[in-house]
Amino acid sequence: MKRTFAITGLCVGGFVILWLAIASTGVSPVAAVQDLLRGSLGSPKAISDTLREATPLLIAGVAVFLALKTGLFNIGVEGQFTVGACAAAAVALRFPGALGMFMGMIFGIVAGALWALPAGWIKAYRGGHEVITTIMLNNVAAFLTTALVAGPLKDPSQESTTTASITDATKLSHLYNAGPWTINSGLLIGVLLALALSWWLKKTVSGYELRAVGANPTAAATAGIDSKKVMMRAMIASGAIGGLAGSIQVLAFQHRFYAGISSGYGFDALGVALLAGPAAIGLLPGALLFGVLAKGSTQLQILGIPKGITGIVLGVLIIAAAAIRYRRNKVVES
Amino acid sequence: MDNGGSIRNDAEDGRRRVKFAVELNHISKSFGSVRALEEVDLHVEQGSIHAVVGENGAGKTTLMKVLYGAINADSGQVVLDGNPVTFKSSGEAIDCGVGMVSQHYGIIPDLTCLQNLILGAEGGALLNLSQAEQRAESLAQKMGFQFEWRRDAAELSPAGAQKLEILKLLWRNSQVMILDEPTAMLSPADGEALFQSLRLLVAEGKTVILVTHRLPEVFGHCSRVTVLRGGKKVAERAVTETNPAELAELIVGKKLEAPSVHTPVLGDLVLEVQNLDVRGYRGDLATKSINLKIQSGELVGIAGVDGSGQRELFRALQGTASVVSGEIIFGNIEATKLRGGSRIQWGLRSIPEDRHSEAVIEDWSLEENASLGLQQLSPFAKNNLIQEKERMSEAEKMALMFQTKHGGLDQPMSSLSGGNQQRFVAARALWNAPKLILAFQPARGLDLAATREVYEGLRKACDNGAGALIVSYDLDELLEHCDRIVVMNRGELIEPGQGQERDRNVIGCLMVGAA
Repeated sequence: MKRTFAITGLCVGGFVILWLAIASTGVSPVAAVQDLLRGSLGSPKAISDTLREATPLLIAGVAVFLALKTGLFNIGVEGQFTVGACAAAAVALRFPGALGMFMGMIFGIVAGALWALPAGWIKAYRGGHEVITTIMLNNVAAFLTTALVAGPLKDPSQESTTTASITDATKLSHLYNAGPWTINSGLLIGVLLALALSWWLKKTVSGYELRAVGANPTAAATAGIDSKKVMMRAMIASGAIGGLAGSIQVLAFQHRFYAGISSGYGFDALGVALLAGPAAIGLLPGALLFGVLAKGSTQLQILGIPKGITGIVLGVLIIAAAAIRYRRNKVVES
Repeated sequence: MDNGGSIRNDAEDGRRRVKFAVELNHISKSFGSVRALEEVDLHVEQGSIHAVVGENGAGKTTLMKVLYGAINADSGQVVLDGNPVTFKSSGEAIDCGVGMVSQHYGIIPDLTCLQNLILGAEGGALLNLSQAEQRAESLAQKMGFQFEWRRDAAELSPAGAQKLEILKLLWRNSQVMILDEPTAMLSPADGEALFQSLRLLVAEGKTVILVTHRLPEVFGHCSRVTVLRGGKKVAERAVTETNPAELAELIVGKKLEAPSVHTPVLGDLVLEVQNLDVRGYRGDLATKSINLKIQSGELVGIAGVDGSGQRELFRALQGTASVVSGEIIFGNIEATKLRGGSRIQWGLRSIPEDRHSEAVIEDWSLEENASLGLQQLSPFAKNNLIQEKERMSEAEKMALMFQTKHGGLDQPMSSLSGGNQQRFVAARALWNAPKLILAFQPARGLDLAATREVYEGLRKACDNGAGALIVSYDLDELLEHCDRIVVMNRGELIEPGQGQERDRNVIGCLMVGAA
């Protein structure tokens, strides 16, 4: 009872903070919310853009979620996304056409997996915390890919540090494209991935073992599960999916690689995964919400509200979700 | 004893003159639809050790928590030294001189002994450690305890931790001390020493309430005993006016049959351990060249003080600790390097020592916990797919085996009381014809009847061809249920000589290295 009260208080408090934050910019909060929704969901074009924005968030969210279920906090999705995108662009430029598209995706996945491997290995066999190692690997990824795109991968005809664009035949095709509506197959891949993960965790023995390691590694070890191996594999799989997200960003949307291609997708994906709740299905609304806020915030900027306001919205949402989620079950004394 | 004795000799008239340190009157408490306590009275004379006994779920701990302010009663009255009080929190109870040591000690291993002692009662915003140490030392000396105050509490033995907990109560000037199963983790000698200290305290006028499952403690050290059953007080007796048989009957509510004498039919070797060295937590050798053979059909007990290497031996057998040298053979399979999962596949089952951290996943449902450890085996799995229907029916059987009380198999494990979790874990360890059962304190948190049932379950599994290795710190429990007993002391495993496998004195001496 007390708890319910506290959570209601938290939600109301969060709402008040938001209201005050928007009001402090001199704009009517009601108008701001209307504009945010109109900018993200108000027209077929807006919805298409929102879904496009949600796609990398969803796939990266799957990556974070998988690690989270193993008890690992993979902050490194940002870096895995970046190396995945870079590898995909490099390969797709070399082999134009459907083969390049396919190989780009594979190389993106492999690059992401390799990028997560050291963090997984250090965590499982040397006890180094994955948060620290993945953050460091993020920086290495950013510098390394920037160096590559400033050097060997750079398009000589361009001023800025970017690769050339891949040919139309190499692009990941649209699922639906008519009039103002554009939906890319990348979204379908993300949705299928979330559904598959949800099923795998719930229905397979290996999913069960992975969740056991995440929930209680000691009990998992006692149950004959090789916790270290599971952690290592989960981290690599998480990195592979992060790399896939990056490669799809290149193949479906950006069509080239440039320094700073991920505008923090890997970090926003942490929020998506935390909001998702216990089942991977929850990633779908989570990613959509983040997409709405990301797209809508562009509209808000026109109103003169700083983009950072959506950060406050997300912060409040995540805190409220965490407070509701981590309520302890009451012990029934018999 | 003398203290209590003089009161008892005064007979009924004398009792009227006795001063009660604690009077709980008509205490009732419900959790949802479960009535945990119903109109319970508990009157404790000042300067005495008063035992509270009963089965799991009888309401002992709940009643103590009401007195300690950790639970608010629905109705009833708490009277301390003749003054009615209402505690909203245990902080208020501590301020009024009521202290409690629960089953799981509240010692933080990373802090020093002194820091642990004063934690929460530092007496100001600034620490004055040297002054604190002086007071701590004088308290300890009075009790005859010795502590190295600046050492980490992680280095304390269970007996040391228990002593520190008692000093924590003294530090807070507790007049009424509630001890919940204080000897569960102690060797007989340490348990005896604990009661010596408690007697010193009651001689000074302090009052001790002892919650226990062990009847010898009641008869050896307490003056009165209150029996709870099903949330009601069923009897209060002066200890001299009752006997173990009557008390056991009052606790259970029916006559307990004496355990039948058993002659096991021994079969093939199920376990052979040769010269086994296992590294311990600190990197030193925790077991030293252990040799042990177990045949199918026998229950072998390991007696020993906590920390004698039992834990590491069990982990090595489970495959969760690395073996330095030596060999482990299961049946006719060389198993020293076998993965934990393959050992389970072969037929190894375990009741782990620490239920919370090793045996269950508390957030998961009972159904999901039913297959923990068995997840690879049929019928729980088929082609890497979880067989949910089969899992459900197996979970039902496990819950039925030792009458685990639960609110639905889909409910989280954390919704069960400790005793009920233990019943479920024990049932799981006996599932589907095990070949070797490792049971670490299988009766931990269980009452007399459930303890007997679990041992009967172990016995039945052994009659069907399993061998069992059982660790307990309660020598009497092992003597009652095991076919033979081996002893571990400082990492060495000693087998008592022929004909002495069940000799209490010989084994007691071996446990402390005095033979």
